[in-house]
Amino acid sequence: MNIFRNILQAIYDTGKVFMDEMKIVLTDSGVIIFFFVVPLLYPILYSWLYNNETARDIPTAVIDYCHTPMSRDYIRRMDATSGIDVKYHCNSLEEGKELMMQQKCHALVTIPSTFSADIIGGRQTTVGLYADMSGMLYYKATMTSLTDLNVDMWEKIQISKQHTNYTSRDEELSVHPLTFEAVPLFNPAGGYGSFLLPAVLMLIIQQTLLLGIGLSAGTIRENNRYGTLVPLLRHYTGSLRIVFGKALCYFMVYLLTSTYITMVVPNMFHFIQFASFASIMTILVPYVLACTFLGLTISSLIRYRENVILIIVFTSVPLLFLSGVSWPESSIHGSWKAVSALFPSTFGINAFIKLNSLGASLADVRYEFRALWIQTLFYFLISAFVYWRQIEVSIHTRSLNAYQRALRRRGKL
Amino acid sequence: MKKIKEILGAFLDVLGLELHNLSYYPIYWCCMVVLPLLVIFFFTDIMQEELPKNLPVGIVNLDNTTTSRKIIRKFDSFQLTDIKAFYPNVTEARKAMQKNEIYGYLLLPKGLSEDLIGNRQPHVSFYYNNSILLAGSLAYKEMRAISTMGNSAYTLAKMQKMGYTDRDIMIFLQPITIDEHPVGNPYLNYNAYLSGIILPSCIALFIFLMTAYSIGAEIKFGRSKTLMMKAHNSILIALTGKMLPHTIIFTLIIWFYQYWLYVHLGFPYECPYWHMMFVGYLLVLASQGLAIFIFGIMPSLRMSMSICALWGVLSFSISGFTFPVDAMDPSLRLLSWLFPMRNYFMIYQINIFHGYPMHYAFEYFVALSAFIFLPILVLKHIKKALNEFEYIP
Repeated sequence: MNIFRNILQAIYDTGKVFMDEMKIVLTDSGVIIFFFVVPLLYPILYSWLYNNETARDIPTAVIDYCHTPMSRDYIRRMDATSGIDVKYHCNSLEEGKELMMQQKCHALVTIPSTFSADIIGGRQTTVGLYADMSGMLYYKATMTSLTDLNVDMWEKIQISKQHTNYTSRDEELSVHPLTFEAVPLFNPAGGYGSFLLPAVLMLIIQQTLLLGIGLSAGTIRENNRYGTLVPLLRHYTGSLRIVFGKALCYFMVYLLTSTYITMVVPNMFHFIQFASFASIMTILVPYVLACTFLGLTISSLIRYRENVILIIVFTSVPLLFLSGVSWPESSIHGSWKAVSALFPSTFGINAFIKLNSLGASLADVRYEFRALWIQTLFYFLISAFVYWRQIEVSIHTRSLNAYQRALRRRGKL
Repeated sequence: MKKIKEILGAFLDVLGLELHNLSYYPIYWCCMVVLPLLVIFFFTDIMQEELPKNLPVGIVNLDNTTTSRKIIRKFDSFQLTDIKAFYPNVTEARKAMQKNEIYGYLLLPKGLSEDLIGNRQPHVSFYYNNSILLAGSLAYKEMRAISTMGNSAYTLAKMQKMGYTDRDIMIFLQPITIDEHPVGNPYLNYNAYLSGIILPSCIALFIFLMTAYSIGAEIKFGRSKTLMMKAHNSILIALTGKMLPHTIIFTLIIWFYQYWLYVHLGFPYECPYWHMMFVGYLLVLASQGLAIFIFGIMPSLRMSMSICALWGVLSFSISGFTFPVDAMDPSLRLLSWLFPMRNYFMIYQINIFHGYPMHYAFEYFVALSAFIFLPILVLKHIKKALNEFEYIP
């Protein structure tokens, strides 16, 4: 009978903690910002930033030393490529450099004076490309366009020069005995937004959750008479009850928020979306739980509510790097990989990209799935321990205070 | 004379108060010294390869002849890619790619060498994962090289038999070559390229947050009235005295980052060293100026810190070092002027990276300096906030 009553009491306490926390989440304007406003607006802001996906038509200056119909034809073809927009024609390299210094163009192409003579005479000719390396996309776009153009030109030149070919098929074969094709998978347009956004979206879930939980814990500490994390109330006597009650509250709120982030936002901006609702949910549940318990663990370190912003916000970019999105995972060495395993975002981002952008099945993300559950368990144990310690601390502080007050009273008497 | 002494005294009092705060609360030295240094170390260390090498790729060889193996051997000799596994069929390779084990795979079709000899133009494909952009484009670059080489190997043999000289063949293969000059970063060093701008962005983020925090904390902990009293009710003295230690510490941090990157790691820079130091100092002042301005508009600790966090995080994108601002929405191009990091990036790019004369970045210097004077617009408001406002959680 006693056990039965204890269990009932535990459930009742958990529910009470849950209700208290929910009240904070729905009324504290700071928590509202992090739990609702940021997740709602940031994805839209980022999608706006990268809406154009790729850098096209890089303004380019051409220095034509050749001045023949052939070189002019070459320039016209260059202008027609997707990466290069021939904006200026210069007479000297100096003039072109001046334009580059003024940021009016980001690439220079020089055509040598012997250009057409070389081609007609069967000599190799060299076109110069000076690309502005301050933006990697400038280099990438101009270099790719020029290489493609040269391959096209090569075919034209060869076909016109060979007299041993009898049919057009012969011609084709003499230039291309073997054809190669590079097929970009999963992001065929090479879009920057399609590449970065899935990772950013998952990161937003973790960061806002950590911020919100930290803020709420900081508030509780500040409102508490003795500056402890656990209020001295009847329902706050078991660490499991506190941890479960709070986690349940965050989990419920974030299941909503993260569903919006992972399913509505990609849909709004037409990003690639392979994964089904069920498979995303399978990953989201352990991800949100792991983030929640990590948040509860971190929140015990927060003395004042705003300090959490100082500690969490700057980690966003390093965490993005650690997940292997900006910098290939195969080039990150062991010790940093070990650090990255501490954060749910590493596995959450990878699982989400695999499922949603690469169209992997749930079986393919088994590793991340397990890692997230292990993290959930790990941080759950730590947060339970931390709260158990905090209960001790608050009881201790209270008795110390009561003792001091008693002393004072006796002194007065 | 007496007035100057009075002002100086007030200034020193305020300075003393702030120095006490800095030494008393661990959050200050944590966010002003420890974490920025950690971030500097993190980024330079994680990208120590400078250009990602040995990206894992796979091979699907359905041909299994000497010719196809020759192509594979050539592919294996490239620096950027590393053949990690052979797969019996395309499905296996695709699955490995979906698990992120490989970034791409080369498909050599059945009957490759037969078709090659029989002049039936076989088709070799390279599938690569473009959803991880850097890895994808590097793998693609290698692929372009192999395709030219694969063709040339065969044509070379064929033409040699026909009696052409090597020079003739080279001209045949590549009538037009590109003489590549990656201006400013000839080594294609991603570490120099990314660290040079991510690190100041991180430091600027810390400056934003710390500035708003330290002013807001005065109100929060009920110290603001004491502060104003010590400053003889002059907001100018209060702010300068309070901010001076921050300016000094952050400037030292930014100078340390420049020393670490350009002297210790030896990354290239094209301007006089003192010029770089000056730009770094300017960035510290501009970031502080903007943060004070934001606090002046919204003198609540939480709101001003949230806006500062938003501004600092957006700086990474809108400075345009990964995705050029020219390619963004036109309205964003205008908006980018409001970010100190954008102006810093343009100055960095024009003066430090390319080494163009200073006057080419003139407008960006003006814009960056303008942030320093922004707080003047809201001085009155901050004064009122410090004197009257109560902390609202």
